[in-house]
Amino acid sequence: MPPIINYELCNKCNLCVNICPMDAIQTEEGKKPVVMYPDECWHCNACSLDCPQKAITLRYPLSHMLLYLDAGK
Amino acid sequence: MGYVKIRKDSIECDILVVGGGIAGLMAAIRGTEMGAKVVVAEKADTRRSGSGATGNDHFLCYIPEYHGNDIESIVHEVTDSLYGKWQDVSILRVMMRRSFDVVKMWDSYGISMRPHGEWEFNGHAMPGRPLINLKYDGRNQKPILTKEALKRGVKIINKMLIAELLTDGDGCVVGAIGVNIKEREPEIATFKAKAVILTAGNASRLYPGISPAYLFNVAHSPGNTGSGQAMAFRAGARLVNLDIPYSHAGTKYFARCGKATWIGVLKDYYSEPVGPFVTKPSKEFGDVTADIWTSVFKEKMANGTGPTFMDCSETAEEDLQYMFWGLQCEGDTSVIDYMDKYNIDIRKHMIEFTQYEPMLIGRGIEIDHRGAASIPGLYAAGDLVGNFRSDISGAAVWGVISAEHASQYVKNVDCTDVEGHKLILEKADFYSEMLSRSYGSNWHEANAALQQIMRDYAGNEVRSETLLCSGLKYLQDLRKYATEQVKAANSHELMRALEVFDLMDVGELIMMCARERKETRENHKRSDYTFTNPLLNNMFQTIEKTEDGVITEFRKRI
Repeated sequence: MPPIINYELCNKCNLCVNICPMDAIQTEEGKKPVVMYPDECWHCNACSLDCPQKAITLRYPLSHMLLYLDAGK
Repeated sequence: MGYVKIRKDSIECDILVVGGGIAGLMAAIRGTEMGAKVVVAEKADTRRSGSGATGNDHFLCYIPEYHGNDIESIVHEVTDSLYGKWQDVSILRVMMRRSFDVVKMWDSYGISMRPHGEWEFNGHAMPGRPLINLKYDGRNQKPILTKEALKRGVKIINKMLIAELLTDGDGCVVGAIGVNIKEREPEIATFKAKAVILTAGNASRLYPGISPAYLFNVAHSPGNTGSGQAMAFRAGARLVNLDIPYSHAGTKYFARCGKATWIGVLKDYYSEPVGPFVTKPSKEFGDVTADIWTSVFKEKMANGTGPTFMDCSETAEEDLQYMFWGLQCEGDTSVIDYMDKYNIDIRKHMIEFTQYEPMLIGRGIEIDHRGAASIPGLYAAGDLVGNFRSDISGAAVWGVISAEHASQYVKNVDCTDVEGHKLILEKADFYSEMLSRSYGSNWHEANAALQQIMRDYAGNEVRSETLLCSGLKYLQDLRKYATEQVKAANSHELMRALEVFDLMDVGELIMMCARERKETRENHKRSDYTFTNPLLNNMFQTIEKTEDGVITEFRKRI
């Protein structure tokens, strides 16, 4: 699942739930945020950038691999 | 879930803005300044929604103190660039004249429009030609514009998607149907508005993306699903230029905008430049090959001379630092994060680029010099406009212009009662049906089915009468099956389902227009009309719904 929430740091402010442009992170009142729709993550990084606790990092699916070779072959 | 909840009282305003992206927030800010009561309905959250969610770094504009007094040469440059010729120059000129005003507005809000002190233009550029893209730091543009809107008294309703426009007996737009997705259980809300400004962005997710398993691996926001174009058409507004496909390009397989932020040279496997524009990395130009010859990546794969790479290994360290700063301004922090995590070092590694799937940007609602659509009470701004394109700055500037005219318009009209409008019950019935199905198809299946039909029957490789006619029939079948079978377990799934139905509408209109353009032009490649017909030079095709059915027409570019 693309966003990984570190629940030891998360203070349940639910900012990520509100701002996720894809509505992929959800919660219930007073509960911790859950990545409910991981396949709908756009990897825009908003949740990670805006989290006041710095509790969120992105994991990139293998399908999203950036392809590269050594330059100057 | 039983019958969908319907909110009792309707939400009343002078201007309803549909979508709180760049265009929507600017329309709301300006409309409120002009004295109108403005409500923004945004299906996500205006702080981080739309294609400008986490930033942008190029703002197309004309700044007299930088460019001199010849606006025409700058206007001409725009149509030769990434933004293309599928725009009415008269409309583009209106926008360019106002562009510096909006740059100054943003600067005054605290969006850094001259992060290094001076007006700085670079990227998306050809050697020997004027530079038209102002380099700016847009990483916090959305939170800043949200704050400015709230400060002026704009009412922002987040988690509220607008599904349908409401018109009166004379065909004037008088409101809209919204769906509140904040809670698990959706609620229909009705809006009574004297005017509506549609700012719902482009149409992504129409064609299969680079990772078919991940529908959301697209360069522009996957939340933009042609809903503005679709609901405008359904309400009777004229659309334009749907027949000419546009495809963006960038990193493979991590779809992302920002190709012009990279400072390097596009090269082949043997480190030979593929395009004619630059042979050494240039901060001033970037490598505009990806803007001008967007098909280069696929062509080289198809003929076996690919892949094609962005090579920054000869870029000076100072320019690399500038590029990384630019990627942050553009909102591409996840690309940087990815490269860090996988130890990709662009000082020694070259990154493969590709062309992405076709999408609608600068294809859609036809507007006039006021930003007004062809039906009374309806305005449009941003990427969903069909006879104009300039991405982020176009969204911002037309947001302002359309709101100025809409706020004049609303002074002379009264609010119309929309309660009991037949469309509300019709939609409520349909949503309830989807919500109450205990088994059936999910939106994902319908979206994938649409994408494979679009790819095979209206793609940008080949089109023809037989393909398009067959494709239209298959799309109609798909719509019927989806209408009968799609289920939604909650408000989130209902939103996704409605997006797919909008995409189906847009897909069908693309096919109808593609059928009528009986020639080959740019990425509209007809195998039965392989030539470019001079009689169709500078001719735009429109499509609209009338009492006599759906009609398409060609008109002159103005």
